[in-house]
Amino acid sequence: MSQEQNNEAKELGSLLLDVGVYLLSSGASCSRIRITMRRLATSSDYTTHISIAPKSVSLTLNDEDDNAIFSGMRTILAQGVNFKTISGISRLSWEAVEKGFSIQQVRDELNRLIALPHYPRLIVLIFVGLAGAGFCFGFGGKAPEMIITFGATVCGLFVRQEAVKHKFNPYICVFMGSLVASLFAGAFVKAGLDINFEHAFATSVLFLIPGVPLINAFTDLIDGNILNGLVRGINALMFALAIALGLLAAMLIYNLK
Amino acid sequence: MDWIMILGKAFWCGWGALGFGILFNVPPRTLFAIWIGGAMGGFLKFGLLQLSAGVVLASFAGALVIGFSSIPIAHIRHVPPMIFAIPSVIPLIPGVFAYRTMLGMMKLTGTIGPDYNQVLAETANNGAKALFIIMSLAVGVAVPMHLMRKESVKNVRLIKRK
Repeated sequence: MSQEQNNEAKELGSLLLDVGVYLLSSGASCSRIRITMRRLATSSDYTTHISIAPKSVSLTLNDEDDNAIFSGMRTILAQGVNFKTISGISRLSWEAVEKGFSIQQVRDELNRLIALPHYPRLIVLIFVGLAGAGFCFGFGGKAPEMIITFGATVCGLFVRQEAVKHKFNPYICVFMGSLVASLFAGAFVKAGLDINFEHAFATSVLFLIPGVPLINAFTDLIDGNILNGLVRGINALMFALAIALGLLAAMLIYNLK
Repeated sequence: MDWIMILGKAFWCGWGALGFGILFNVPPRTLFAIWIGGAMGGFLKFGLLQLSAGVVLASFAGALVIGFSSIPIAHIRHVPPMIFAIPSVIPLIPGVFAYRTMLGMMKLTGTIGPDYNQVLAETANNGAKALFIIMSLAVGVAVPMHLMRKESVKNVRLIKRK
């Protein structure tokens, strides 16, 4: 094995691991991570062996004689769900195969994708607030409950974002968001407004539901990635408990039944 | 509840889906599809409820339609199907049932009074509904992806090239 080949394997392996951890921390399912990493490796002659743990990705590249020429592992970064990264990497992997990108080209494109901005914070707050109002209507709420849910969602999400920024434990972030949102909704109930507080209460915390871990848990279980599926499922359960705890704390404070 | 109300609910389900799409930072080119997907799932769910179907079945039908329509949209918009399917299915999540289950559980920790059996029955009912709806949503979204993946248009193209 020549030195050049060795370097190339190292570069490819490191690139694949980066792709894997970015996908894992952005909320991709295990099968998607495997498919994307394999696809990027198709142009090379190496066979890939991938292992995905809940918080890390390991990879070994074997050459034609089945000798391991690269082995590595990388742990995930603390980063929230980001579908722009997932779709960007998926698209990149196709382009790379079809147009025969070099490793450096893929690396440059990956760096560009990671740097893409999120939606502006105000837009996120307003649209998630609208989503909360929409849920409230779907569950049978009327205009006053919808407005209260909008306000509660915006406040709760703001607090959660701040908590995430200060690097609190993720479950505590969700607990804070849930507590603030339900305190906001409960204030109107306590003030004696004639509203159906069940609708306002139950939907004001819905923006916190762990939808991505929940659905990924099932996707992984169906794929046979039982361990990852269980971990994601329990993670989702912990978030749900944190939401419930926030809600209960607010009800206790207001002494609502 | 008449059909105008159902259309209204579907409309707001679309906004619910869109809000979650933005929270998950989806690419802007998929936002409209996510709105349509959320509205479609909501319309199917509330429409079936109107036709007196069970809430679990209605939610499952909504999720299944979102799951199957996510495949062609994924090819048109060049995104993985889940990017479209996960935000769209979130308005179908049984928030109120989960909430009632949680309150019921808290009541069950109290002393056993005359209405204890009633609370127990309601809590079990709400809990079972919430659990099964969530499972049916996940299955409804995940299964179409697995059924259709084998015939991915892009895979076919790749094999031909080789």
